[in-house]
Amino acid sequence: MVTREDVLQMARLSKLYIKEEELDALTKDMDKIIAFAETISAAQCEQTNFDNINNLSNVLREDVVVPSYDREEILKNAESQDEGYFLVKRRS
Amino acid sequence: MKYELVSGLETHVELSTNTKIFCGCTTDFGGEQNTHCCPICIGLPGTLPKLNQKVVDYAIMAGLATNCEISHISKMDRKNYCYPDLPKAYQISQFDMPLCKNGYIELSNGRRIGITRIHIEEDAGKLVHQRGNTYVDYNRGGVPLIEIVSEPDIRSIDEAREYVEKLQMIMRYIGVSDCKMQEGSLRCDVNISLRPVGSTEFGTRTEIKNMNSFTYMTKAMEYEVSRQAELLDEGKEVTQETLRYIVEENRTESMRGKEDANDYRYFREPDLVTIEVSQEKIDRFKALLPELPDAKFARYVNELGIPEADAGLLVKYRKVAEYFEKASQGVANPKVVANCIIGQIFRRVENETEKEAFDIALSPEYLRDLVLLLDSGKIKMNLLKSTLEKMLDEGKPAADFIKEEDMGGVDADTLKQLCTDAIANNPNAVADYLGGKEKALKSLLGFVMKNSRGRADAVEAEKLLIEMVNASK
Ligand SMILES: [Zn+2]
Repeated sequence: MVTREDVLQMARLSKLYIKEEELDALTKDMDKIIAFAETISAAQCEQTNFDNINNLSNVLREDVVVPSYDREEILKNAESQDEGYFLVKRRS
Repeated sequence: MKYELVSGLETHVELSTNTKIFCGCTTDFGGEQNTHCCPICIGLPGTLPKLNQKVVDYAIMAGLATNCEISHISKMDRKNYCYPDLPKAYQISQFDMPLCKNGYIELSNGRRIGITRIHIEEDAGKLVHQRGNTYVDYNRGGVPLIEIVSEPDIRSIDEAREYVEKLQMIMRYIGVSDCKMQEGSLRCDVNISLRPVGSTEFGTRTEIKNMNSFTYMTKAMEYEVSRQAELLDEGKEVTQETLRYIVEENRTESMRGKEDANDYRYFREPDLVTIEVSQEKIDRFKALLPELPDAKFARYVNELGIPEADAGLLVKYRKVAEYFEKASQGVANPKVVANCIIGQIFRRVENETEKEAFDIALSPEYLRDLVLLLDSGKIKMNLLKSTLEKMLDEGKPAADFIKEEDMGGVDADTLKQLCTDAIANNPNAVADYLGGKEKALKSLLGFVMKNSRGRADAVEAEKLLIEMVNASK
């Protein structure tokens, strides 16, 4: 059972601001989502050990340098930048 | 009340791979901000990380060198937290299935500090706080780290220091990291709690974040120990919290308390597959490990007869140890080689970085040949020392500096004549010595050595001089 406190905690961790009047509705929604995902717990499964269901392992790359991107490209989508840095502005 | 320190360390070590952990960007230190970046390491949506083989290999070597079990199966997980140094809002790390576990490091006092686990993860970017804003550089973001987590087995600040020094030494030996604290390639979080001496329960602990120098680590621990002791003495409780050390004021300050403790909501990284390490691979890596400092130390002391203090200095840097071993090949008394290195060569490589590189003009083979001349009685110790200085200056073999006729020392009659001359030519020194100034003998000895072109045996000459001067009274 998801509580209002759980939702507030999640919001805090995700840096989201939630209005008091939204809280009950969100709590109900969250509860439904969790219940939906819980369905999977009912599935019968023989293998209780670590799941490596896709049977893939060790997809690795060689330690060889490839050129990085131009800084202009890297910063292109930044909301704010200054002197080649990403800029995170203080919220007032 | 008397308290006992209970401490555990989390040590982050940057691996010296060429590329980052999940992309091909360089890991070079320095570089203009945000020029070692690509869509993967700045966390753009739709990109896929691909694990660097070398990171796994280096972590396995680190684990083997610290007596860990290597997991045959491990995986990567997402550690979620929101902070600008982490562009994806999660760090790819390892949670419940680390690559290495259950190791230990043995300290010089014989105590073993347990290593709970070693896992691989990506480093975060660098933040510069300026004018109320935060400037972010992601060059370091995605550089591979291993986090070495110790058990709370450390009982003194000295032990903490030695533990980190040993880790540093081992990681450098196996070549997985340069472990430069000043560049941040080795940094520690230190957990500290106190308990009354004799108690077996743990007290409430605090954690000091990001210690990046031995001096500050020691100071921060001293401060925190006395702060906690004061609280306990006053009957107050220690609050569980995360602290930062403020260098300028030599004190710790709360970063966040228990109530804001991070809730990382770890879950498996779906973009990366399982890491499997075969026993065959583990065995192969084990065989590849170089002889580690502890083993070298024991061998130098027990088999080569090197005093412990000297052996400690020789094994501290792998290149020094290798130089010593090459120069000692076939030498009757390796102690002489050790003295040449510690007494004379070290004067030319004073700081840590130079000792680490140990880039000196003289080849170890030339040093060995010089010491062999001593072994065969062709030269005496003083000639060896003065020749070594010349050899170090020019990087040339002993034969370039010692003439054939200088070898073999001087016979007893010649030595006696040299001493007679020394006394005759230095009446003031003789008078001073007889007047009680023992140091005055040095100038007489100097005369003998100079006039024998360094061939005379200094110990014999000194003995003879004392005898003759006293007889002349
Ligand atoms: Zn990259």
